[in-house]
Amino acid sequence: MTLSLFDQFMSPTLLGIPLLALALTLPWVLMFKPGPRWAVNRLSTLQALFIKWFTKEIFQPMSLGGHKWAVLLTALVLFLITLNMLGLLPYTFTPTTQLSMNMAFAVPLWLATVIIGMRNQPNHSLAHLLPEGTPNLLIPILIMIETISLFIRPVALGVRLTANLTAGHLLIQLIATAAYVLFPIMPTVALLTSILLFLLTLLEVAVAMIQAYVFVLLLSLYLQENV
Amino acid sequence: MLSRLIVISANSLKGCGPLGAGLVHASRSLHTSPQSLAPLPPLPETGGKVRHGIFPEELFQLLYPKTGVTGPYMLGTGLLVYMLSKEIYVINHETFAAASIGAVIIYGVKKFGPSVASLADKINEEKMAKAQEVKDLAISSLTEAIEDEKKEQCRNNVAMLLETNYRERLHMVTNEVKRRLDYQIALQNLHHRLEQEHMVNWVEKSVIGSITPQQEKESIAKCITDLKALAKATQARAAV
Repeated sequence: MTLSLFDQFMSPTLLGIPLLALALTLPWVLMFKPGPRWAVNRLSTLQALFIKWFTKEIFQPMSLGGHKWAVLLTALVLFLITLNMLGLLPYTFTPTTQLSMNMAFAVPLWLATVIIGMRNQPNHSLAHLLPEGTPNLLIPILIMIETISLFIRPVALGVRLTANLTAGHLLIQLIATAAYVLFPIMPTVALLTSILLFLLTLLEVAVAMIQAYVFVLLLSLYLQENV
Repeated sequence: MLSRLIVISANSLKGCGPLGAGLVHASRSLHTSPQSLAPLPPLPETGGKVRHGIFPEELFQLLYPKTGVTGPYMLGTGLLVYMLSKEIYVINHETFAAASIGAVIIYGVKKFGPSVASLADKINEEKMAKAQEVKDLAISSLTEAIEDEKKEQCRNNVAMLLETNYRERLHMVTNEVKRRLDYQIALQNLHHRLEQEHMVNWVEKSVIGSITPQQEKESIAKCITDLKALAKATQARAAV
């Protein structure tokens, strides 16, 4: 089965049956649910530890109104981290490389924060459009710039995640192809390329975790501004 | 065969995620064991034994009787070589990517595995120790309460014994005193009676002694004359 470089980004199907739903629900199966047990198990302890740490990190600086978002954002970060890390395995499809999915996460959540801000404290959220202490001449321009920056946030969120993951996956594929092609011809260069590939994979693991964290962190910051 | 594997592993997969609940119900329908949902069966302390990180020990035990120790390794090598030679698995760039991510995973597990595992174990131990402490505290406080109760009972018994003893002795004392006083009273009565009798006897004796024989004769003669007169009167009344 020959693979082109972009086959990994195509929505997976098997005999015409789309497997996207399976790919999207795989992280759900991998998480432990608390259940009726005290859950004294290494994996569940680590998972609980992570969830506790994350929720504390994100929601400590937030006022009480934003704590309603705790379950949503923690679930989102678990989902994104799992999807990203699973995508690093060979022959897997990473749903977070699809712009459609990332925009589907970014736009509604960002819009929710904006609407919450506009409804509960309209003056305060409109005042965000103008930083303090600007000279009077710059006010109109600055307001336009701030509005543009406000509206570009969801695009930035979605595209950041998509681009990072897609670029990482593509790089892995390219360097792996280079190593593969060079292997019978110049083994030494292939070895160097393999070392590069190893380091890149390490980077990709870090990027996978960081990007998911950044996505949710920025959303929480937008929420903090507006709640 | 795969379905058998699923059925057998359903028991161990019970704990994992939302599939678990479904698998419990699915395996219950086969009536293989008297399974009930409460009390919960205990979770295994450690995961299943694996060799080389991924292959379950059960595979090696399964093949041991027929193929000995090297059986599974021959199976693995044979499978791998078969898939490579028949081009069922094609080596391409993904292979290198797989090797790279495999190296990252193995490096990560080897380096950080023990520390992470000990961290998780420490947290679990602390949780268990806290619960154990609560239980021990409860047990010790209850034992102390039992001891205190016993002491209270002892004290009550002793107090009652003392009380009873005191009352007995008081009773005895009262009785003795009464007996002494009764004796004194009887003595006095006796004295009184003796005096009285003595006086009466003395008076009688003196009276009888004072009667002279002359007086006796005179009194007897008077008595006779009186009697005669009385007889005469009675006769006269009888004749009338």
